Amino acid sequence: MNLLLGQILNGIATGMLYALMGLGLSLITGVLNIPNFAHGALFAVGAYFLVSVVGVLGNFWLGLLLAPLGVALLGLVIEYAGIRRLYSAGHDYQLLFTFGLALILNELIILIWGPVGISHLPPALLRGGVDLGFTFYPKYRLFVMVMAGLLVAATWLFLEKTRYGAIMRAGIENKEMVSLLGIDIHRLFTVAFAIGAFLAGIAGALTAPIRGLSPQMGVDMLGIAFVVVALGGLGNLLGAIAAGLLIGVAQAVVAAYWTEASTAVIFAVMALVLLVRPQGMFGIR
Amino acid sequence: MRAFFLILISICVLPLIVRPVIATEIWIFAIFGLGLNLLLGYTGLLSFGQSTFFGSAAYVAGWLLKHYGINVFIALGIGVGVGALSALVVGYLCVQRSGLYFIMLTFALNQLFYFVAYQWTSVTGGEDGMQGVPRPEFLGLDFKDPLVYYVFVSVLFLASLWLMKRIVESPLGRILQAIRENEVRAGAVGYHVPRFKLLAFVIGGAFSGVAGVLYAMLFGIVPLEAIGFVFSGNVVFATLIGGSGSLYGPIIGSFVFIWLSESMSVVWARWPLLLGVAFVIVVLFLRGGVVEAWHRFWTWRRSSKPAT
Repeated sequence: MNLLLGQILNGIATGMLYALMGLGLSLITGVLNIPNFAHGALFAVGAYFLVSVVGVLGNFWLGLLLAPLGVALLGLVIEYAGIRRLYSAGHDYQLLFTFGLALILNELIILIWGPVGISHLPPALLRGGVDLGFTFYPKYRLFVMVMAGLLVAATWLFLEKTRYGAIMRAGIENKEMVSLLGIDIHRLFTVAFAIGAFLAGIAGALTAPIRGLSPQMGVDMLGIAFVVVALGGLGNLLGAIAAGLLIGVAQAVVAAYWTEASTAVIFAVMALVLLVRPQGMFGIR
Repeated sequence: MRAFFLILISICVLPLIVRPVIATEIWIFAIFGLGLNLLLGYTGLLSFGQSTFFGSAAYVAGWLLKHYGINVFIALGIGVGVGALSALVVGYLCVQRSGLYFIMLTFALNQLFYFVAYQWTSVTGGEDGMQGVPRPEFLGLDFKDPLVYYVFVSVLFLASLWLMKRIVESPLGRILQAIRENEVRAGAVGYHVPRFKLLAFVIGGAFSGVAGVLYAMLFGIVPLEAIGFVFSGNVVFATLIGGSGSLYGPIIGSFVFIWLSESMSVVWARWPLLLGVAFVIVVLFLRGGVVEAWHRFWTWRRSSKPAT
């Protein structure tokens, strides 16, 4: 029983990270209307940036701030120099472009940081665990839960309560109308992509001390992010959070009993939900 | 007719220029591309999960070839069946959604099959791949001889091309093109759109299955990559550089892609980086593929000639 409760906690922690990934991807997909196959690569780059920043500056907190900012900057460049020229092209070319980017980033990671996985320790402050009564739980995972929760809340507040957030939501609904109202739609696209990249980068940075880093981590996360969006609905914040938590917990619980199936179960859950509700859990389209 | 003769000549000349293995791989990849193009070019469905059907068929047929000694034709029949069946399952879940959702779903389900193959090591060999897939002799034909196998694959490719030509020119092909042009109108005319999309999926899956089994027998192994997403991306890329607008596009694309990846993989172990750069360059500067670039080149030549 205690094992199960511990696994559920683990599931919530990873589920929050999945929610962050899904949220960013959902924003990019909804506002820019492109399939972003580089989202997983951005996640991996965030994790590796963290390792490098911590290696150079020796400070985890600075790394946690700078790594996602670096990824956001990378996102800015990608949108400005590449994706911007493809809005009128079909999804097939947009897909090929982002897929090509994912290949390039993945290979660059192998070239710079090596093909072998590396592990990364959490900062001294967050090492060890706390006694929760039913289980002894690592401090760092609790921190991830809180941090990811705060980020999700901040994104929600930005989208729901600020003027620019409202414009962004309007952009998801009707791009033509937004640009007719005199709003610079291209800048909106760039900002949305940078925010999505930032969220992917920070999810990667937060993941690094939990699971370690490997060049494969981006691709694995890409599939999960797609599942979150497919289940939660495009541009649907609460949907992304619920879907992220659902598959995070499902994966952790299955891992306790049948480790080999723990990744496949994510996609099986998606297939099951789609059988019953083809539009996703909260999707309307 | 001219295209047919060109293909026939290429089939004869190709093994003289490149190694028979590469030549064989080109025609196998072309069959794979033909299957995708029914979805991508003719129905307007961008499937990013074609390796699901390719890999599943390769694994099942490879397993039976290895442990039950079935002959080559039964293996191909099983490939058709497994390819079509897996496409039926995946297609059923995907055709209910459209646009970006559809693309993401085909990818996510591809990942499901990938992780099953990755973890089920007792059958698939996991990361090492399923090794030791034989190419058994049949009716006095020694398929172990690379040239005999090349001819065999070429004949199957011609049969696939003929069949695909018949399919896209049939009423079914016209309905699929109508769905591509205007889904709502095709539905309004009375066609059950999801059912026809599913049918296109199943046919495309069967072609992928044949290609998968031929691939497994060619290399004697089903590598884990055969069911991975990079493989799905490669066939989309090959079809797009060939030009998805024509029946022959995937064939040209297969030539260019296999040639490109073979020559790059010799140069550098990190060749996917170059492949990624090629993707980006093609998308940013050469949209429309080889066929259109060729047309543009000729119109440019003609217009730049001085008037006489």
